[in-house]
Amino acid sequence: MNKKTEEKNWKLSYSQMIWRRFTKSRLNLACLIFVLFLFLLAVFAPFIANDKPFVIRIDGKFYFPLLRNLQPSDYCIFLAAALTVWYLLRRTPNGGKLNIKNQISKLQCKIQKGMPDSRYSNFAFLYVILLFAFLFLIFVLIFVFVPRRLDAVDYKEMVASGKATDAIFAPVPYGYARTELASCRQPPSRRHWLGTDDVGADVLCRLIHGSRISLSVGFVAVGISVCLGVLVGAILGYFGGWIDFVGMRFVEIMMAVPVFFLIITITAFFPRSFLNIMIIIGVTGWTSNARFIRAEFFKLRRQDFVQAAVSLGLPLRSILFRHILPNAVTPVLVNATFGISSAIFIEAALSFLGFGVAPPTPSWGQILSLGVSTSGRFLWWLTLFPGLAIFFTVMAYNVIGEGLRDATDPRLSKAV
Amino acid sequence: MIPTLLGITIVVFAISRLAPGEPLRGTSDEGRGTSIVYPRLDRGPSSIVWGLDKPIHIQYAQWLWRVVRLDFGDSIRHHRKVSELIKERLPITLMLNAIAFLIIYAVSLPVGILAAVKHGRFFDRASSAVFLMLWSLPIMWVGQMLIGYFAGPTFKNWFPPAGLSSNYAEQLSFLPWLADRLWHLVLPVLCLTYTGFAYLTKQVRASVLNNLHSCYVRTARAKGLSEPVVIFKHVFRNSIIPLITITATLLPAMLGGSVIIERIFSIPGMGLLAFEAITSRDYNVIMAVATIAGVLNLAGLLLADIAYAIVDPRITMDD
Amino acid sequence: MKQDKVLLSVKRLSVNFFAEDAVLEAVQDVSFSIRKGQTFALVGESGCGKTTTALSIMQLLPAGQSKIVSGEIIFENQDLLKLSEKQMRRIRGNRITLISQEPMTSLNPVHKAGSQIAEAIRLHQNKNAKQAWADMVEMLRRVGIAEPEQTACAYPHQLSGGMQQRVMIAMAASCKPALLIADEPTTALDATIQVQILSLLDRLQKEIGMSILLVTHDLGVVYKRADVVAVMYASRIVEKAPKGQLFAEPFHPYTQGLMQSLPRLGVSVKRLQTILGAVPDPLHFPAGCKFHPRCPIGRKDRRCQTVEPELKEVQPGRSVACWYAPGCVTNNQIRNTKIN
Repeated sequence: MNKKTEEKNWKLSYSQMIWRRFTKSRLNLACLIFVLFLFLLAVFAPFIANDKPFVIRIDGKFYFPLLRNLQPSDYCIFLAAALTVWYLLRRTPNGGKLNIKNQISKLQCKIQKGMPDSRYSNFAFLYVILLFAFLFLIFVLIFVFVPRRLDAVDYKEMVASGKATDAIFAPVPYGYARTELASCRQPPSRRHWLGTDDVGADVLCRLIHGSRISLSVGFVAVGISVCLGVLVGAILGYFGGWIDFVGMRFVEIMMAVPVFFLIITITAFFPRSFLNIMIIIGVTGWTSNARFIRAEFFKLRRQDFVQAAVSLGLPLRSILFRHILPNAVTPVLVNATFGISSAIFIEAALSFLGFGVAPPTPSWGQILSLGVSTSGRFLWWLTLFPGLAIFFTVMAYNVIGEGLRDATDPRLSKAV
Repeated sequence: MIPTLLGITIVVFAISRLAPGEPLRGTSDEGRGTSIVYPRLDRGPSSIVWGLDKPIHIQYAQWLWRVVRLDFGDSIRHHRKVSELIKERLPITLMLNAIAFLIIYAVSLPVGILAAVKHGRFFDRASSAVFLMLWSLPIMWVGQMLIGYFAGPTFKNWFPPAGLSSNYAEQLSFLPWLADRLWHLVLPVLCLTYTGFAYLTKQVRASVLNNLHSCYVRTARAKGLSEPVVIFKHVFRNSIIPLITITATLLPAMLGGSVIIERIFSIPGMGLLAFEAITSRDYNVIMAVATIAGVLNLAGLLLADIAYAIVDPRITMDD
Repeated sequence: MKQDKVLLSVKRLSVNFFAEDAVLEAVQDVSFSIRKGQTFALVGESGCGKTTTALSIMQLLPAGQSKIVSGEIIFENQDLLKLSEKQMRRIRGNRITLISQEPMTSLNPVHKAGSQIAEAIRLHQNKNAKQAWADMVEMLRRVGIAEPEQTACAYPHQLSGGMQQRVMIAMAASCKPALLIADEPTTALDATIQVQILSLLDRLQKEIGMSILLVTHDLGVVYKRADVVAVMYASRIVEKAPKGQLFAEPFHPYTQGLMQSLPRLGVSVKRLQTILGAVPDPLHFPAGCKFHPRCPIGRKDRRCQTVEPELKEVQPGRSVACWYAPGCVTNNQIRNTKIN
């Protein structure tokens, strides 16, 4: 037991320790898996719920309508998911052990080659900027070159009438934008597993496609708020003095303005676009991140390693973001997880109130708002299922946030 | 304090002026007049009455001057003075929030303290799991489900689905009127409170846990005090200090939740007023509501600061 | 030496702590007794278990993480470990009291200093608020505070370190206890204040006739104030002796090392002496005698490396836990070996 405890505590890097503590609880793991499942659902949504078949045989020839009709946004999402997976895989260290000897020899090589740290960080900065520019270019090219097809062919009718033979449909063979007023407001049945909404669209299909909206809003909005908050908090916390004083007044103003009200107002006034909503939620939510980072920077800027970095003549961005920030980032990480769940909730609330994404883009909140019809009838399937979807998603993120908070609690590391 | 107040008014004014009745392309600068802003509202001669043809900083100054005298202008939609509307509706929202507040505190304080004292045991884990679930419930879903299942013809019809009082309420004497009012308030207050439970209980628990392991608690026990006395006289007094700022931040969150609740339950409060104003582009009302909400937030923060100085003898009033 | 009555007798006390998935034996098999009016010093490095021993006498250990696994604590003819919580509460603050290390954090910051003292008086002596307040003011005067009424109405953060510690002492001595446990009472104070606090404790001891269990790592304090000294190392008592004999001729190699490492006034040395090695990790205690990796004898001796020595009385009033202590062993050559 003695040897094992030693290895447990001393050969792990910080993130590995946190991961170990986080995964000790099965609930945390379950929620993480659920979030992963949601991810897969969102990324592969067009393959799971689509009214176009994968392959259909018309007059002896095979056609692939589903694959041909993928929208540029689908491609963007595939690319983004692939990049994320690749990035995560790259970061997983091999064997899970911190190889200190290897790192020391690498450092020795660097010193021998005479590469001062500041020059290295210059290159790294450029490299990162170029990488982001390149990615951005690819996304723009996707939008330019992938044609937005509007295929209005009703393949199901073709199969029914016999014009086509042998078609393989997706598991949920309905389109999220396809309206069938004949079958509107149907409770769950064998044809429509979760019922239909007020224009006849299948609820399950809209839920699946709606997960894309929810998850994207969560991540992009939180990404924006974290970036903004970290930037502002870092500058305020590091410099202090009158910069901090003026900056904090500004942050206080942002905090005192009623946020939800502001969001509603802005979304009501600006054109209803998905991007707008993400940006608004991000721009109104950065204040708490800024406060956390500022508090941490206040604590850390007096430490010796900061003085050492300054005395080496490192550029400011290197000190702030390569040296201090990794030490200060933990509360922001926890806050970001809660921010994702709160962003999902705000987006659902906005769609519920009618200010969110415009139909036919599916959104969980929008389906929820149809729960009580104009005649006062309570359509329970339009209330229960999107509500459950929102509930489970938000709860999963909340549990992960709680688990992260417990795992990074500094008190636990004092034990023994 | 004053700069923050001014800042709020500038932000509010800029937001409402940024968006005329048509979609806006590109950015606009707050405080500096740009040609996009006015006057393209198709309101005819009334645009001059509203003063919409003057440059933007003049408009701001005029508006600010009127606000200081509590004159928020007239509502385009209701054709009444905005201050009257607010006078009618603000007390309702405040009452709703106040009741919710009291209930949240009445539940969270004991549960939080108990959970901290029985740290790691069943009560602690069960209560934090239950409250986490409650926290994750989307408020509009709960509202709609409550209406659908408990206030509608389809399932149970125990509570009224909308409004603050029944139609015949004016004819009742005081106690039945009060009972009727409370009966109407049950579902909305329920919706407003449950999210607060989770948040506040967690904060109370964390604060008490922080203090439970302090040295002075050991001293108190070493004096021979019984456990309840140690907790209530020593730990509790120290634990509520961080809760004061949290109270101040709870207020704006509840005001935001009011918008949804009042929309679902059709309660004529500030939230519903704001909602209707936004959908109908009623600028004066929007600005008034936003300003008042901002002022209330600030007042809450100020009260929190004062309360801090009273409760914690280590802090002196530096106001 | 006048044979006073034995006030407190600790017999084979063992305390375990529970960490995430490990069991820490913080105190193993500790036995000692304190007589009436005596000052008993428990000396050792940080982490050797002396504070845990002191706290377990009052049963103030954190409930979920620790457990007193065995032993007896006989105080005034009662086994404290067998008492109910209610009975124990009557003894705490009343017959046995505690002074902690950090006076700043040991006083409740939101209550006035005086009311914290009066609380103890009201609880144990059945007096009403006015009488308790008057007693408290008198007690503050006795501990040497110049303006007792003002100090009583002040909050702890408004008092200096020395005054805070005096308030703590007043709180502890207010009910005229039989035993006062002082857990490193002077560690957090300036040197000049240390002297004052120690003389205060001395004076109170003579006035009230109480015994003091002094837990400290400062040998200077021990030399000045203690009557009997017990040296703890790695959760066990390794030597117990009257102060004069311990300082004149320490028997255990650890105590010898401690004494030799003390700098002496008037003696110039190029280098201070140390004990090789470091205190063992409580999760991996060495087998046999816990001090053997650092002991010049134990490093080479098989018995020290495999069998743990018991605390044995080698002379009247002196006990050592070492196979090679004088009186323990027949090996005359090793007996007088000096360390380093």
